[in-house]
Amino acid sequence: MKQYLFIVFIVTAGQAGLAQQRDSLKQASLHEVIIQGSGPAAKPVATATQVELKNVQLFQTRGNSLGESLKSIPGLNSIQTGPSISKPVIHGLHSNRVLILNNGVRQEGQQWGSEHAPEIDPFTAGHISIIEGAASIRYGSDAMAGVVLLEPKALPENKLLGGTVSLTGASNGRMGAMSAMLEGAGTHQLEGLQWRMLGTFKRAGNFRTAHYYMENTGLQEGDYAATLAYHRRQYGLSVYYSSYHTKLGIFSGSHVGNLQDLDSAFARPRPITPSYFSYKIGRSYQVVHHDLFKANGYYNFNNGGKMELVFARQKDLRQEYDVDYPYSNDPAVLRAPQISFQIITHTADLLYHAPAKGPFHTLLGLSGSTQGNVFSGLRYLVPNFRNYSGGAYAIEKYTRGKLTLEAGLRYDYRWLRVYRRDEATLYLYQNTHTYANATATGGATYQPGGRFSVNANIGTAWRAPSVNELYINGIHLSAAAYERGDSTLSSERSINTTLGLKYTAPKLFVQVTLYNNQINHYIYAKPLLQSIHIISGTYPLFQYTQQDVRLRGVDAEADWDFTKHLTLVSKAAVVRGFNKSIHDWLVFMPADHFDNQLQYHFTSTSTWLQPYVSLQYAYTARQSRVPPHSDYVAPPAAYGLWNVSLGSDIAIGKRTLRADLTVNNLTNVAYRDYLNRFRYYTDDLGASVVLRLSTSF
Amino acid sequence: MKKKTSIPLLLLASGALLMHACKKDEKAVAPPVPGNEFLTTVKIRAVNTQDPADVQVASWTDTTLIAHPADSINTPVLNLKAHATYNAEVLFLDETKSPAGDVTSEIRERQNYHLICFSGSTSLPLTVKRTDLDTNSPALEVGLEDLFTTGAAGTGQLNVQLRHQPNAKNGSCEPGSTDADVTYTINIK
Repeated sequence: MKQYLFIVFIVTAGQAGLAQQRDSLKQASLHEVIIQGSGPAAKPVATATQVELKNVQLFQTRGNSLGESLKSIPGLNSIQTGPSISKPVIHGLHSNRVLILNNGVRQEGQQWGSEHAPEIDPFTAGHISIIEGAASIRYGSDAMAGVVLLEPKALPENKLLGGTVSLTGASNGRMGAMSAMLEGAGTHQLEGLQWRMLGTFKRAGNFRTAHYYMENTGLQEGDYAATLAYHRRQYGLSVYYSSYHTKLGIFSGSHVGNLQDLDSAFARPRPITPSYFSYKIGRSYQVVHHDLFKANGYYNFNNGGKMELVFARQKDLRQEYDVDYPYSNDPAVLRAPQISFQIITHTADLLYHAPAKGPFHTLLGLSGSTQGNVFSGLRYLVPNFRNYSGGAYAIEKYTRGKLTLEAGLRYDYRWLRVYRRDEATLYLYQNTHTYANATATGGATYQPGGRFSVNANIGTAWRAPSVNELYINGIHLSAAAYERGDSTLSSERSINTTLGLKYTAPKLFVQVTLYNNQINHYIYAKPLLQSIHIISGTYPLFQYTQQDVRLRGVDAEADWDFTKHLTLVSKAAVVRGFNKSIHDWLVFMPADHFDNQLQYHFTSTSTWLQPYVSLQYAYTARQSRVPPHSDYVAPPAAYGLWNVSLGSDIAIGKRTLRADLTVNNLTNVAYRDYLNRFRYYTDDLGASVVLRLSTSF
Repeated sequence: MKKKTSIPLLLLASGALLMHACKKDEKAVAPPVPGNEFLTTVKIRAVNTQDPADVQVASWTDTTLIAHPADSINTPVLNLKAHATYNAEVLFLDETKSPAGDVTSEIRERQNYHLICFSGSTSLPLTVKRTDLDTNSPALEVGLEDLFTTGAAGTGQLNVQLRHQPNAKNGSCEPGSTDADVTYTINIK
């Protein structure tokens, strides 16, 4: 029974390879170890390096946004707009080039802007992993950088009632987050019935840099989710609903009307906005609602094959309120957001896991989606559109002894129609674009001895241009930039080669991943080095264009257990982005990052289980590889942050309380990060004391 | 067995139904929001304090939002007499509609959030003094009404900016962001 229940889980996430086995060994006595079934499709070997966040690592990100949560994985960064908005960056790529799978459903929001964060409550995830290589083509053709998989932990098997309460408090922003989960399973007549409910509330006020508060950077978030599942020996069915709501303040010091404002903002060592603490969120702010409904079913055939069907509906509403009210007397206009987008997406996925034939495992799939976007606002930004897309894929895996081979093929078709109104005649017109492309990937893993393994992967991916890249025409207020789309853009195509080496010994673990991602027709907003003059001032003009680029890099991690108690964990991530068309560097690539952490694990007592203390030094170099005239200001200086944390599981009666106390940026360093869009205006976060508590029953 | 296999089919059918049932809202492209005022024109109207018949007007217009003619930006010229004083008004208009919408009154309503800043080129023999005050305490200048004092004959550029300073107005031009930023040629004869 267990085997069938966890099969979905295994196929998507169980392939974490040796790292997971090793982690399981290390954390064997912690109570949230991932249960691994052994279905026919499960094989803990993948031909591309995969990494994941779970247990203590995941617990230590509780209360952070999704983008922030992933930063501890080598090769992952986050692109930020102030302290509250961040999104993941994988190997230098982000937004539409990173797929996020939330509980098996492709996250579809307004994800194109750097200030549009993924609309996901990370508390719903019991497990976060990054998938690259052949396995990723299952999720879509456009995963040029990889797939972020967020999955809930497995539903209870036979526990009548259980639950978890998590609390996080942080001194910076006086942030509080609380998440409560209740779950249960039916017994006797109701056997096979499982349910879960989860609610999260989060609130923060103005965040503080080393020397001052950032005015209007508070946030409020309230989310809930519910699952109901029923499974029998041969089939299972489940429905899931989640609702995410947030209101995010935008730092007052970031409002600029024109280039001159921007220049004077850079020139200031600190913003001239007042420094004080408040939970109040004033203009400007964003309000985002995301609702997800998902229904899925599976059926196990007698021959060992399995069919799965997933249907999902997502509604994403995003409203942006400018710093001032519109110039109007009409109360309805005054209340309305300046810009609003609503996108409704329906997706359907059909998967067939063919019965294993000797060393061969086959996965076949079909996926389809339709999407409608409605834009309204007081100023034009992007048009309405309707999008239909369909894809078919096959993934074949061959395992024999020390060798695993994996290959995938996928074909996608996309139809996009935009609806616009001619500003002169108010006449409606439409443009239609179609895109069709094939994706292929292949990889191999070879494990000659017990300790050493090597994997290599080559894959292509393509991504159709998004609507903003095709049709945007307007001002990005926070950056004083005027962006213009190009409706003649064609699809991007990448060839990504990776090589991974792994060494696992009792006291030493080393993993190195090298990659070379060649992207032809890479789409980005190129500064035209000319300005556009409109009544609100002079703006630098950015035009979406396509060029050939190459992203190369290394991610490395080494864990060395000096003694039974002391471990050194070192990580490095280096990426080089090069624009071959202009023979110069590619802008907005993450700077080199090195992270060293010394962990001391104390001996457990009957009360204190697995207590630990750790000291971390994370160093980010200066990004020196930027072409001239590519940005308003030079990249910020290198910085190093000290973080310290201590924690333990504490046995209180029959219960266990997990506790962690962390001080981030211990020495209260004032710094700015190259990937934070607000580095133009303000320093990044100062010291923060974070307490995390969690207990399950 | 028959019952079991029907479940995925049922799901598929309900999925298809849901997909079909969704409305095609995107086809109804919203017309420009009625009642919203666009800022298209900044006008200076100067009246000679010695001679009420001497009224000079210059308009800086950005009709990017108006379809015909598109993207027209004019280069306004204001002619003033030497060694004279003028009572000047700065007017903000929405010329996307007819008659033009009055944005000046909206700015006056939110005068505690706004400041109009003037900066003349060094060759321009003109001093500008704001004569109106808002209701902040202490009261701060607004700049919708001004006194222009000209010197000897000459010519130069005068830059006018509407600064938007919510909760930050302190009398200086620095805080906030720019809502309008236009430049006039001033001829003093």
